[in-house]
Amino acid sequence: MTVEPERLRLPRALVAREIGHRVIAWLRANSALLLILPTLVFLGCFLVAPYVSMLVMSFRNPSTTSVFAPGYTFANYGRALSDPYYLEVLAETIAFGLVTTAVCAIIGYPVAYHLARTQSRLKGFLYVCVLSPLLVGVVVRCYGWIILLANNGLINNAVKKLGLFPGGLKLMYNAFGVGVGLVHVFLPFMILPILSAIQSIDPALEEAAQSLGASRTRTVLRVVMPLSLPGIQAGAILVFVLTISAYVIPVLLGALKVKIMPTLVVQLLIDAFLWPFGAALAFILAASGAVVVYIFIRVTGHLMKGVV
Amino acid sequence: MTRLTIDGLTKRFGEVTAVDDLSLEIAEGELVSLLGPSGCGKTTTLRSIAGFVQPDAGAILFDGADITALAPERRNIGMVFQNYALFPHMTVRENLRFGLEMRRIGRQEITNRIDNVLDIIQLTGLEDRYPRQLSGGQQQRVALARALVIEPRVLLLDEPLANLDAKLREEMRFFIRSLQKRVGITTVYVTHDQSEAMVISDRIVVMFDGRIRQVGDATQIYSHPVDREVADFIGLSNCIDGRVKSQTDDGRYTVETPLGDIRCRSALTLPVGASATIVVRPESIRLERNQSGDGNVNSILGTVLDRFFLGNMAGYRVVCTDDRVIQVREEPWHASAVGDEVWCVFASDLAWIIRQ
Repeated sequence: MTVEPERLRLPRALVAREIGHRVIAWLRANSALLLILPTLVFLGCFLVAPYVSMLVMSFRNPSTTSVFAPGYTFANYGRALSDPYYLEVLAETIAFGLVTTAVCAIIGYPVAYHLARTQSRLKGFLYVCVLSPLLVGVVVRCYGWIILLANNGLINNAVKKLGLFPGGLKLMYNAFGVGVGLVHVFLPFMILPILSAIQSIDPALEEAAQSLGASRTRTVLRVVMPLSLPGIQAGAILVFVLTISAYVIPVLLGALKVKIMPTLVVQLLIDAFLWPFGAALAFILAASGAVVVYIFIRVTGHLMKGVV
Repeated sequence: MTRLTIDGLTKRFGEVTAVDDLSLEIAEGELVSLLGPSGCGKTTTLRSIAGFVQPDAGAILFDGADITALAPERRNIGMVFQNYALFPHMTVRENLRFGLEMRRIGRQEITNRIDNVLDIIQLTGLEDRYPRQLSGGQQQRVALARALVIEPRVLLLDEPLANLDAKLREEMRFFIRSLQKRVGITTVYVTHDQSEAMVISDRIVVMFDGRIRQVGDATQIYSHPVDREVADFIGLSNCIDGRVKSQTDDGRYTVETPLGDIRCRSALTLPVGASATIVVRPESIRLERNQSGDGNVNSILGTVLDRFFLGNMAGYRVVCTDDRVIQVREEPWHASAVGDEVWCVFASDLAWIIRQ
């Protein structure tokens, strides 16, 4: 009887060894997968899982006594899409995103062009200047803007002292103030992709355009701009997506007087405790943003036919 | 047609003087090559003519009118770049149209001119292709056409054949030359390839260190280089140092060298006793069994060190009595073998005194 365990142990050890060999062989063959495994696990836990849970939440039955009631429904989406108020806020959010993106592009493009072509020794310093909005925390940055833009802030005091606008200017707690704050911090996301796109354009192309009789402006409009479209596209998508999902700046500089989707969603989730409905609104916003981005990619892709 | 004058052009980049007081007159319809090693200032000179480089001193004149202060887009030049610089987001037709649109030329005229130039560069049928869909040679021709279709006053070419393979490069030389003659446009051609310059140019300007070293047609530059650097840059050469012994009435000099007295010709006037360098081209030398009896023919004794077959000729390296190696290009069937004692024979007309 003492032999029995020995007999059992031997094949078990063999099986274990066999499995070990197979695992090692598989890992050897797919060693690259092993490298991204930590990332996959991380994203799965902290990105995919919350999204899925939100998605499920958006189909839950609402409840007044708990987070949600049993059962599933499309009513949350129906309610959001049939109420003109929410559709209006959605449209304003998208419009706000488009305007902010356009302003960033118009301000950012000349900066990117200059940085891409400058021979200055200050180039490194200029890079830091471009990145400077990202070097300051969002709250500090917003309070900086409040000091400038508030009703009795620096600008208004100066304007009143000069007697230009006795009533003062409304610079904050409206779309303008939020726009200023967003453009400020999202500008680097516009400039950097455009900068790298322009850097990859052969300067000889600009010289060729000039030799053919094009002024500086026309050279930029006809040659540099079309060839840097991939950079503009990337920058615009980044800024647009960041803008329509921005929360802290609209709250601090808009004080909930600017109705946009992210603040509304948070209100519904935290204040009204309407988790299923809030989740549905969040997904409607994300889907609308995705549709806008898709249309934008299609349109710009058509313009970039010869570029890429 | 335009006469191009470069007057005392100087350009410095920091400590480096890229172009140093360069003056040159290019006649109407003439094709002049700027030839020299990289960094000799030839490209800077070209870019100054185009207006991309603002000179520190000197002037560029078209038909006597100073255009130095004019922006590139106002100079009416046609330029072909080394990498062609075709607009990648435009088709061939759009590339050709670009310069015409900038000149606000009528639609009908634009179409006519583009059709005409497409015909000249033999690319009819490819006008709706994008540059990346064309071969290197086709891109090159589009670049030429784009520069010419605007009917510029001066055509500038910056190493236009450098990116083509050897066979195509040969063809394009003749294509560019015949096109330039047909259009009759004043042209400046920058290259570091001496054979390219020799094939294509009316005159060659050899540049070193931002200065013009020699100006002349291919024959002059090759047969009568002014100094050792030019001689070495344009083809293979044998240089022999010596001292002037005497001058004869027919203008020939006798120079005393370690290899014996050499009779030669010179553009320089040298006193007896002056040091002189003689240049002899490898193909000017014949290998003979016996010394020549003619007083106007030089003979140098040596031993064949190497023989190599080059197809159209046979290359020899002959080591002389002072261990100097002389390069010789003989007929391909020439029979001297390694180890043979030979006489390197060359006429005094083919030996040339250069500045030291």
